[in-house]
Amino acid sequence: MNEPAIDLSAAPTPDVAPLIASDVVKRVTGPGGEMTLLHGVSMQANAGEAVAIVGPSGSGKSTLLGILAGLDAPTEGEVTLQGQPLSQLDEDGRARLRAEYVGFVFQSFQLLPGLSALENVMLPLELTQQQNVKERALAALDEVGLSERAGHHPLQLSGGEQQRVAVARAFVSKPKLLFADEPTGNLDSATGDRVAELMFELRKSSNAALVLVTHDDDLAATCDRRFRMADGRLNEL
Amino acid sequence: MTRTQQIGFAFRALRRDLAAGELRVLALALVVAVASVTAVGFFTDRVGRAVQQQAADVLAADLLASSGTPVRDEWLQEAQDRGLETALHTRFPSVVINDDDESQLVAVKAVSDAYPLRGTLTLASLDAPDTAANLDAPELGTAWIDPQLKDILQLSQGDTLALGTKDFTVERIITFEPDAGENFMDLSPRVMIHVDDLPGSELLVEGSRAVYSLLMAGDNAAVDGMSQWFSDNYATEARVQGVRDGGPQLQRALDRAETFLGLASVVTVLLAGAAIALAVRHFAFKQADASAVLRTLGASRQDVIVWLIIRLALVAIIASAIGVTVGWLAQLVLADLLSTWFSLALPAPGIQPPIVGTLTAFITLAGFGLLPVIKAGQVPVMRVLQRDYSGLQTSSVVTTVLALLATFLVVWLLSGNVLLSAIVVIGVVAMLAVFAVFGKYLIRAVRVLAGARFRLSVAGLERRAASSVVQLSAFAMGIMALLLIAIVRVDILTAWEQDLPDDAPNVFVVNIQRDQVPGFSERLIEQGIESNGFFPMVRGRMAAHNGVPIVQEVMSERDERRARREYNLTYADTLPAANEIVAGEWWAEGTTEAFLSVEREWAEEFNYVVGDTMTFRIAGVETTGVIKNLREVDWESFQVNFFVVASSAMLQEFPQTFVSSFYLDGDFSQNTSAWAREFPGIATLDIGAIVTRIKTLMDRASLAVEYVFFFTLLAGTCVLLAAVQSSQNERIRESALLRALGASHQQVRQAVVAEFAILGLIAGFLAALFATGIAWALSREVFELPFTVNPSLWLFGVVGGAVGISIAGYLATRSVLHTPPIIALRNST
Repeated sequence: MNEPAIDLSAAPTPDVAPLIASDVVKRVTGPGGEMTLLHGVSMQANAGEAVAIVGPSGSGKSTLLGILAGLDAPTEGEVTLQGQPLSQLDEDGRARLRAEYVGFVFQSFQLLPGLSALENVMLPLELTQQQNVKERALAALDEVGLSERAGHHPLQLSGGEQQRVAVARAFVSKPKLLFADEPTGNLDSATGDRVAELMFELRKSSNAALVLVTHDDDLAATCDRRFRMADGRLNEL
Repeated sequence: MTRTQQIGFAFRALRRDLAAGELRVLALALVVAVASVTAVGFFTDRVGRAVQQQAADVLAADLLASSGTPVRDEWLQEAQDRGLETALHTRFPSVVINDDDESQLVAVKAVSDAYPLRGTLTLASLDAPDTAANLDAPELGTAWIDPQLKDILQLSQGDTLALGTKDFTVERIITFEPDAGENFMDLSPRVMIHVDDLPGSELLVEGSRAVYSLLMAGDNAAVDGMSQWFSDNYATEARVQGVRDGGPQLQRALDRAETFLGLASVVTVLLAGAAIALAVRHFAFKQADASAVLRTLGASRQDVIVWLIIRLALVAIIASAIGVTVGWLAQLVLADLLSTWFSLALPAPGIQPPIVGTLTAFITLAGFGLLPVIKAGQVPVMRVLQRDYSGLQTSSVVTTVLALLATFLVVWLLSGNVLLSAIVVIGVVAMLAVFAVFGKYLIRAVRVLAGARFRLSVAGLERRAASSVVQLSAFAMGIMALLLIAIVRVDILTAWEQDLPDDAPNVFVVNIQRDQVPGFSERLIEQGIESNGFFPMVRGRMAAHNGVPIVQEVMSERDERRARREYNLTYADTLPAANEIVAGEWWAEGTTEAFLSVEREWAEEFNYVVGDTMTFRIAGVETTGVIKNLREVDWESFQVNFFVVASSAMLQEFPQTFVSSFYLDGDFSQNTSAWAREFPGIATLDIGAIVTRIKTLMDRASLAVEYVFFFTLLAGTCVLLAAVQSSQNERIRESALLRALGASHQQVRQAVVAEFAILGLIAGFLAALFATGIAWALSREVFELPFTVNPSLWLFGVVGGAVGISIAGYLATRSVLHTPPIIALRNST
C-alpha cells in the first residue's frame, strides 16, 4: 500500500473545527451547457455541534454534502477536515482521512447486501486495522439495540433496523465528524424518531460534530445551528 | 492495509460472496470451463495417442525408412543412438516350388526378430486354422505363408517350400499382418521368412527388385528427430514414412478425427469463455455500488480493486482445482468406456491438460473480467448520495480488445495454431456483430408485429437495448452450440460413416482374363454377390515424360523407383465413379486420340500438369498420351481406383486382364479356393481386415467426439444460465415495480415469460441460421463430406429456443415473483 501523500498524524489538532468550508463553488457541464450548483458556500461545524442543512429538492444539498465529506471535489474554494485541506489530497488520501475521522448515515442505508449486520459494522474498523474488531462491532450493535440480530443480513432486516445498523457502523470507529443524508427519509415517523434519537445520543457521547441534511423541520430544530440551501446558496437561519 | 490483511479481508469477503451466492454462476462457469478443457485435453491426448498407435500398427512401426539398397549400418546406428527400437524387413518378388514341383509367384518378406514393432502379427497352425498364435518372427529355416498360398499349392503343416537355394518348412498361416495394407495392390501371396535366411539363399542378387526397410519406434521427439535426420542426409536414397503417411485412407480418417476433437474443444472453451464473460460482468456490476460504499468508509481505490482481483483469483484457483478434479474423473469414465473399443490400453494421461485448463480459466477471467473489476473499483463515490452519478461503464474499446486478446490467447493455447486463432477471433467478432445488428432490428420488428398484448415485454427488451443484445448474442451462441451438437454432429458423423458403408468392398479380384469375365460375373450373380464392375488393367512402366526418358545414367532414388515400378493402368470412356475432375476436362466418348487422366496428388508429386505427355512401355511397345485432366480420387471408398486412366483408343489393343471388387459376406478362403479352381489364374485379395480397421477407427473417433461434445453442451448451458442471470436484477426491479403498480402476479409472470420467449425465438432463429452456415462450411471445407440442409435444425432452433429460454428465464426469475414488491424494490436501489 502507498503511504499517505500527507502526514495525517501531524495535521489534526483538538482546537481546530472538524469541518470548515470556505467559498465552495461547484460547476458542472451538462447537455444544456455549464451550470453552477453551488455559489460560494461557506460554513463551519465545531466539535460536539449539530448543524442542519435544509432546503427543497434540487437546491444542491446533496452536492454540498458530497463536497464537505470529500466524496467530490469543489470547482473552487476549500474544505478542511480536521485541519487538513482536502484540495491537497488525492482521492485515496481523502478516503484515508474519512476512514480515520468521518462517519456516514445515508437515506438508502447503503449496507452491503452480502454481509451480515455485524460484518457491516466491522467494516470501518477492518479498514483502519483496529484491534478487537468483532467485540467493538458487537458493542456498537448493542448500543443501537440490535446485538441479537448481528447475524442477520440486510435483506432480513426492516428499514428501521437497517438504518440502526448503519448508525452503528457510522459510530463504531468513534468519528470526529458525522454526515447524515436524510437519515429518516425512508422511514416512518416513529422509526425515524427512534433513529434520530440514537444518532443524537451517540453524537453526544462521542463529542462528534454532526452535519445533517434533511427535509424534516422538526429534526432540523433539534440541531444547534440551521442552514437553508436555496439555488446553490447557503444562509444560516 | 498490509498485503496479508488485504488477502485476509478478501478471503472473508469471498466466503461471504459464496455464501450469498454472488459468485456462484461465475464459479460454475469457471468449473465447467476448466473441467471441459481438462477432460477434453486428457481425453484427446490419450485417445489421440491411442489412435496414432493404431495407425502405427499399419506400418508395424512409428517410422519406416525404405530403400532399393540394403539398409546402411549408420541408419541402424543413428536410430539406436536416438533410443529407438529397430527392426528390419526386406521385400521382393520370387517364386516358390512345392514338393510336387508346382510353382507360384510370391511376395517374400524377410523379417528380423523384433518385427513387428507396432501391432501384432496373428498366426495359426495350418492344421487348426482357428487357433491363433502370436510369434514375432519365423525361426531360421521356416516359412509363414498366407492362406491363399496354402490353397493354391495345397500345402499342409510341415511341407517344404523351395525358395532360392534353400528349403523352408511351412510352419504357420498368417491370419493378420499389421502392415499388409501398406502395399495391398502388391497381389502375390505372402511368404514370410527370417531375414538371416537371406544370405546364401541366392535370393537377392545384383539388380533384384528388393525393397529394404528399417522399422523404428520410440517416443515422438526421437521419431521426429530421426525423420528429420533422414530428410537432411538421405533425402534421395531413403523413402521415409511416418504414422502420418500410413496410406491415404488412414491418413484421412486420422485427420478428420483430430479435426473433430480439436473443434469440439475450441467450441467448448469459447462457450465457457462467453459464460465467464457474462458472469464476471454481472459480478462487477453488483460490486460497483459496494465498492462506492467501501470507499466512502475510507478504503482507497487501490484497496477496493486489489480486493476484487484477489477475490476473483481465489475463485479461479478454487474453481480450477474443482475443475481439474472433475475433468480428471470425467476422462477416467470416458477412457474406461473407450478402452473396450480400443485393442490396446489407452496411454496414461499427460501433465499438460490440467495446466492448460487452469491457464484457460485465468486468461479468460483476466481478459473478460479485469477491466470491469477495475472500473467497478473506480465508480464515483458520489453514487452513494446521488444515483444519477454514473455506475459501471464497460463499453470501451479497451474492454473489447482485451476480451478478443484473451479469446485469441486461449484458442492459441488450445490449438497451437496462430492462423486458426486469428480466424476464430474474426469469426466470433463477425458473428457477434451480426447478432447485435440483426438482433436490434428483429426486436423492433417483433414490436411492430406483437401489438398491444406483448407491448410490455417488447418495450422491456427495447428499453434495455444494450443488455438485450448482449443476452441475445449469448442465447444465440448457446443455442447454436446445442444445435451443432444435437443435430449437425450427428449429420456429419453419419455422412462420414456413410463414406465407408458397411458393404464397402472387402475383396479385390485381379488377373481375370478377358474370356473369364462373363463366367466369373455370372458366378458372382449366382452367389448373390454384387460386384462394382470389371475394369481392364494394363501393366506398364513409365518410359518418358514430355519426351525426356525417365531412365538416365544418374538417377535419384525417387526417379529410379518411378522407372522401376510397374503401374496398373486402365482405360475408360467415362469418368469413374467416386472421382472428380479438378483440372482440365474429361475426353469425348469414343475419341480416337491418346489421352490420360492422372490422380491429382500423384501428378503433383512428380510435377506433371495438364498438357504434358507421358510415355509408357507396355509389353515392349511404347505408347504416348497427353494428360487431359487431373482427378481427385476418394480413396476411402475402397473401390477399384487407378492413378492413371487412359482413353480407350490408347490402351485397348494392349494385353490386359480385368480387376473387380465387391463385398463378400461369406468365408473368404472357401470362396476363393472354389473360384481359383473354376477360373484358373485369378488372384483374390482380402482387404476386409483393412476396411474393418478403418471402420473401427471411424467408429471410435466418432464415439470420442460424442463424449467430448457433452462438455460443449455443459458449457452452452452455462452460457444460457449466465445470460439469464445477467439481467436478473433489472427484471427483479421491473417486476416489483409492475406489481407495486397493481399488476397481478400472473400478468407479471406472463410479461417475463413472453419477454424471454421473444428473446429465445429471435436467438433461435439466428442460431439456426448460423448453425446451418457453419455446418455447410464444416462439411464442405473441413470434412469434405456432402451437405444437406436439416429442417429440424430450424424447428428445434426457433421453437426450442423460445420454449427453452422462457422456461429458463421463468425459473431464474421465479423467486422474484414470490418476493413482496417492497423488498425487491428496497434491495434493488
